[in-house]
Amino acid sequence: MSDTPEQGDLPPDDSTLAAEYVLRLLPHDQERAFAARLANDPALTAEVAQWTTRLEGMNAEFTPVAPRAAVKATLQSRLFGDAPRVAFWQRLGLWQGVSFASLAVAGFMLWQGMQGVDPQSGPLYVSELSGENQELRLLAVYDSSNAELRLTRTDGSAPANRVLELWAIDGDNAPVSLGVLPDAAGSVITLPPEFRASISGLVLAITDEPPGGAPGGIPSGSVMAAGPVTEI
Amino acid sequence: MATTLADIEDMIARIALGDRRAFSDLYDATSAKLFGTCLRVLKDKAVAEDVLQEAYMKVWRHADRYASNGISPMTWLITIARNSAIDRLRRIRAAGETGGAVDENLPASDLNPEQTAIAKSEAGRIAACLNELEPDRSNAVRGAYLDGLSYADLAAQFNVPLNTMRTWLRRSLQSLRECMAQ
Repeated sequence: MSDTPEQGDLPPDDSTLAAEYVLRLLPHDQERAFAARLANDPALTAEVAQWTTRLEGMNAEFTPVAPRAAVKATLQSRLFGDAPRVAFWQRLGLWQGVSFASLAVAGFMLWQGMQGVDPQSGPLYVSELSGENQELRLLAVYDSSNAELRLTRTDGSAPANRVLELWAIDGDNAPVSLGVLPDAAGSVITLPPEFRASISGLVLAITDEPPGGAPGGIPSGSVMAAGPVTEI
Repeated sequence: MATTLADIEDMIARIALGDRRAFSDLYDATSAKLFGTCLRVLKDKAVAEDVLQEAYMKVWRHADRYASNGISPMTWLITIARNSAIDRLRRIRAAGETGGAVDENLPASDLNPEQTAIAKSEAGRIAACLNELEPDRSNAVRGAYLDGLSYADLAAQFNVPLNTMRTWLRRSLQSLRECMAQ
């Protein structure tokens, strides 16, 4: 397509280029070239600032819409780590400042939890599950080489006539049951495939449920312990 | 809204020092505006939510670049959101180009003048200058700014050759500059 004299463009001056840059009208390669010039051209930077301010009046046409509350929680998680897990615990009525055991206790439980784990295994992940009143504590160790999650209950047990059910929570998604824990202190669970890739940052939680487990696969009891999974 | 521009400037300054509380406050004060910006460009709530997060991640990481550069802090934030949204829009379109259904995925842009928000005094000056342009041309400027449309999009929208659109836009921008200098 050739330019006719009527349609042809004079090469744009820097001010027009700056306006096109602010509007995002430049083709990708020209945009990058312009941005490279900006790095050491204060006059050009000033042109961009001027155009940004000239056009800012149109911002009034961006109608404010409040985003869902979960968006902020996810954002904080992406930036700072485990913030949305806190939001989840708050939602389930668990005190957000779940206290972690002292390093010595954690070290002991880690050692205890790793009994039976092949030392040549793949990356290992650990989660200490505890609750507000510390009545129930578990250590979970996940071996990524065989997708086995080993749980060791170090304190507490299910309330009378109730069972302990383990849940996996991935971000803002609904908890997914990993099954009812046996009465024995130790148990091994194969982690469902959908959680294997997102194991780091996954939250494990334990609720007390009626015998047989949560009706309909939705947690109905109180959260007795919870904790995020981290790589070791 | 008791939050002033000075408050926002202060929050950005504290964010530059790694203050998470300030970041949370800034989000609370500005996320509706920035989400509205992302939604306008992307026309898709889920994608806009993701891009909104990206925009605030940039704010967190680059807050130190907002010194007093003469740009209002709100404009700085909206510019980050708008640019993030346009980047995403273009990535989506580039990825979908082989599918051939790109245009169907993008709801038609509303290029008719919007009577509501434009009444705000902040927007009055550019609105007046846009009104001095021929309607098609002011709508093209607004389509680029508000909807992130490219020259090719605009040429298709207004059914004119690409070069004609480029000429329209450049002349319109020069007219705007002169008008706003008055």
